[in-house]
Amino acid sequence: MQRRLIFKGLGASAVALPGLAACGTGGGGDVELSDEPVTIRMTWWGADTRAELTDQAIAAFQKEHPNITVKGEFKDWAGYWDALATTTAANDSPDVIQMDELYLASYGDRGTLLDLADTSDFLDTSGFEAATLETGQIDGAQYAIPIGAGMLASVVNADLFAQYGVELPDDTTWTWDDYAAIANELTEKSGGAINGSGLTGGTDAGSIRYWARLHGNELYGENGDVTLDPAVLASLWEYNLGLAESGGIESAAQSVESQSAGIEGGSLATGKIAMGFGYNTQITPLLAASGADLRLLQLPGNAEAAANFIKPSMYWAVSSQSEHPAEAATLIDFLVNHEAAADILGTERGIPANPAMREHVAADLDEGGRLAVDYIESAAAGPAVVVTPPGGSGFDPMIQRYTQEVMFGERTPQEAAEAFIDELKSEIDAAA
Amino acid sequence: MSATAELRNLGGRGSTAKRQNKAAFWFLLPWFLGLFAITLGPMAASLALSFTDYNLLQPAEFNGLENFTRMLGDERLHQSLGVTFTYVLVSVPVQLGLALGLAILLDRGVRGLAFYRSMFYLPSLLGASVAIAVLWRMVFGADGLFNDGLALFGIEGRGWISEPETALGTLITLNVWTFGSPMVIFLAGLRQIPRMYYEAASVDGASRWRQFASVTLPLLTPIIFFNLVLQIIHAFQSFTQAFIVSGGTGGPADSTLFYTLYLYQRGFGNFDMGYASALAWLLLLIVGAFTAINFWASKYWVFYND
Amino acid sequence: MTDTFAKTAPEATQPGPNPAPTRRSRSGFQPVRSIMKHALLILCVLVMLYPVLWMVVSSLRPNDVIFRDPSLLLNDLETGNYAEGWNAFADPFSVYLVNSSIVVLGAIVGNLVSCSMAAYAFARLEFTAKRWWFAIMLLTIMLPIHVIIVPQYVLFAQLGWVNTFLPLIVPKLLATDAFFVFLMVQFIRGVPIELDEAARIDGAGHPRIFAQIILPLMVPALATTAIFTFIWTWNDFFSQLIYLTDPDIYTVPLALRAFVDAQSGTNWGAALAMSVVSLVPIFLVFLFGQRFLLRGIATTGGK
Repeated sequence: MQRRLIFKGLGASAVALPGLAACGTGGGGDVELSDEPVTIRMTWWGADTRAELTDQAIAAFQKEHPNITVKGEFKDWAGYWDALATTTAANDSPDVIQMDELYLASYGDRGTLLDLADTSDFLDTSGFEAATLETGQIDGAQYAIPIGAGMLASVVNADLFAQYGVELPDDTTWTWDDYAAIANELTEKSGGAINGSGLTGGTDAGSIRYWARLHGNELYGENGDVTLDPAVLASLWEYNLGLAESGGIESAAQSVESQSAGIEGGSLATGKIAMGFGYNTQITPLLAASGADLRLLQLPGNAEAAANFIKPSMYWAVSSQSEHPAEAATLIDFLVNHEAAADILGTERGIPANPAMREHVAADLDEGGRLAVDYIESAAAGPAVVVTPPGGSGFDPMIQRYTQEVMFGERTPQEAAEAFIDELKSEIDAAA
Repeated sequence: MSATAELRNLGGRGSTAKRQNKAAFWFLLPWFLGLFAITLGPMAASLALSFTDYNLLQPAEFNGLENFTRMLGDERLHQSLGVTFTYVLVSVPVQLGLALGLAILLDRGVRGLAFYRSMFYLPSLLGASVAIAVLWRMVFGADGLFNDGLALFGIEGRGWISEPETALGTLITLNVWTFGSPMVIFLAGLRQIPRMYYEAASVDGASRWRQFASVTLPLLTPIIFFNLVLQIIHAFQSFTQAFIVSGGTGGPADSTLFYTLYLYQRGFGNFDMGYASALAWLLLLIVGAFTAINFWASKYWVFYND
Repeated sequence: MTDTFAKTAPEATQPGPNPAPTRRSRSGFQPVRSIMKHALLILCVLVMLYPVLWMVVSSLRPNDVIFRDPSLLLNDLETGNYAEGWNAFADPFSVYLVNSSIVVLGAIVGNLVSCSMAAYAFARLEFTAKRWWFAIMLLTIMLPIHVIIVPQYVLFAQLGWVNTFLPLIVPKLLATDAFFVFLMVQFIRGVPIELDEAARIDGAGHPRIFAQIILPLMVPALATTAIFTFIWTWNDFFSQLIYLTDPDIYTVPLALRAFVDAQSGTNWGAALAMSVVSLVPIFLVFLFGQRFLLRGIATTGGK
């Protein structure tokens, strides 16, 4: 089991810490199941529930494949990426890797993930829709298989709407102007006890992508360059500044606090705002933490423009450093294609991206899961978005920083938009 | 090294240098092993990497002094330096002053010493826990305890932890809150002062205050010095608390972007380990300079027994 | 906190409106001053401990109340968080406590032995280039772990030590925690050199002086080192995260962080409950260990 490390020492032109492809599999031909017992490592980020379900799924897999032992490793989100980068740098990465959209290209483009076309004998992707598979491809290579699908949604607290006598909006017609009016009305009718809404964007890539699309723009172009128009980004911030002025959204300080408090401690869960944004699958923890009647509505303007999009909530990938790619692929196949696994895993990693599994789990969903599935099936969606290019993995903290600068009045929207796009471009250029 | 003058005085005296060399070797053997087998290699590697473009996933490429010239125009680096210096210069003196004051107070025959010492120390035990983020929000958030306290005096509160002007202040408070650590070291140091000195002083009829000024304080200076050096190095490297409280961002708006937090973001968040290594070595130079100055200055105020 | 100082002082000195209990304090101070001192101390303690108390109280609250209640009053007791947290992962939480204890114990033994030896050399022996070695020692603790970790990982992986406790313990046996060497140097230098010289006249060599004179007299420094090593190792996250991959050998900090997931939700009740549980051992160690802090020259007598 001990992996051999290739330590090149201090090279002439480079400090070659163990490089790449030391034990790559070199094409599809020699990917075969071993006759001997094999142990593979699988790693994911996530909390206790996920660890428990995944361990059960692993046990079910091992029962079907007595030859294969799977060692599961769970970590918290931040620690996960530190550990993955370190082990990959030292050529010692786990075989099966849970991957996120932000990091997919950073790893895939640099040759550390296996093209799953090489393992097609063991991992069947035919059940997936082509558009779904595309979200795991870079330059045509299938570096990852989407596990679950998520979609940005407006989350509204129907209890608060009822309490302050505001009518629930019709999400098939509402616009951002309607949204602002409702937000202001909520704040007003509550006498300032709550704010109508939280920030309407600028805290993650999804909200920027949606806003850009509504304005006929895209965050990234087909080849991964930054195509976001500074004026479009500035208009998002101006919209929020306007709402902050009128009280429709909470103050800059409150939104910082809400964000760092996470789902459970955030303003939406604690009933300080009546409308917010989140991924449809976050409805489950939100319901649990708030105890309120929360609903998922389409984003303003989306019903007409179909600017929203399906975002894989996460992926499975195989390390190119894996000595057992066939076994790794077999495990992924089990996790995404087999009803036995779907029965165990449910929607914990998002609504299954494989339509057959989605249908299979739909039968016995809890309230949150049902709301999430209903939403993704009814909301209008445009084409898939381009995968975040290498260098874009730090997007979220970067946009949050600029949003905070704007909302605290340290920069004007226009100036911040130009600076943000410059910084993002230079990160992506540096990584290319 | 300005530290050298001080260090020259470190040693014992007498006996032949050769014999002491041999004895020293054996006493230092574990440390030598650690230094050469474990510590120096990775340090050298990071120094070498600081002259490269290294994204962790592909072999590093030599790029000369590019990482260092890039620092000149790196506004976030300058921001992080400002944040870190403010933090060091404010939190270290306040924390040490509080720790020293309470140690002296507690050492002087207070009943229930063990109780107070434990209570004051308890926060230090929590220092790096994930719960800190939650706890600090409960204290310094808009609905937090601190604002409730201010309201008693009719002062209107604010979101201390989430506004750029005050967020760093809450982290400084967090560090000061853990003053139990240096306090324990001070208490141990106070106990180390031989009783005979006090006896001699009281025979001379010295008042309590005089005893403190002429016995306690001078004999405690080596420990004060140690705490100062240690806390300065620690404060420059401060990472965990800012990481946990700001969710790794150094926000709001980079107002708590500590140096090592920025370095970490570059290295792991942006796969920019070459630059991160260069940043680390700049930090080493800064901290090294501070420590050297500290050692140099210590010969004017630190009193040794040997 | 300055407010409290300013407020308490005048009140306590007025004899009338604030009648002081008459019990005389043993330290021989005037009772008023003594009570003032205690009132001040207790106020400080309460203010300082509020966050800790809130954590304990919240660990006994249902999840949907935790973030909405900053008070310290408990309406009804929800002990379920403890059971849930204890069994949240495949291994019961006791496994992580035991693993952490192993690492901590190894680190303490390592630091006590290796650091005290190195400190004796730096404090009492004269040897070639001593000041340079001392400077190098301090320099080694000035680089942040984040840039050391990758080459260090390569090193330990080559030794086959990844996924064992060795990368966390062996460095301590080799005195890489230079802080403690420095701490002990400062303490040893506080020991009167006459004691060494008296022993030397009796024919004692350095090993004997070290073991019989210096070590007993620096118990407070050793206790400080042990307590600090305990706390730092118990709370250390990054190196344990990188070197321990199999959940069966995870330590407390890894398990605690794994409770928190910003994307799919965190069981805060369980996380806080286990934070409280993990605080108990270090607090007990401190309660027990602090009496060794008192054993200085002052009590063992500098005869």
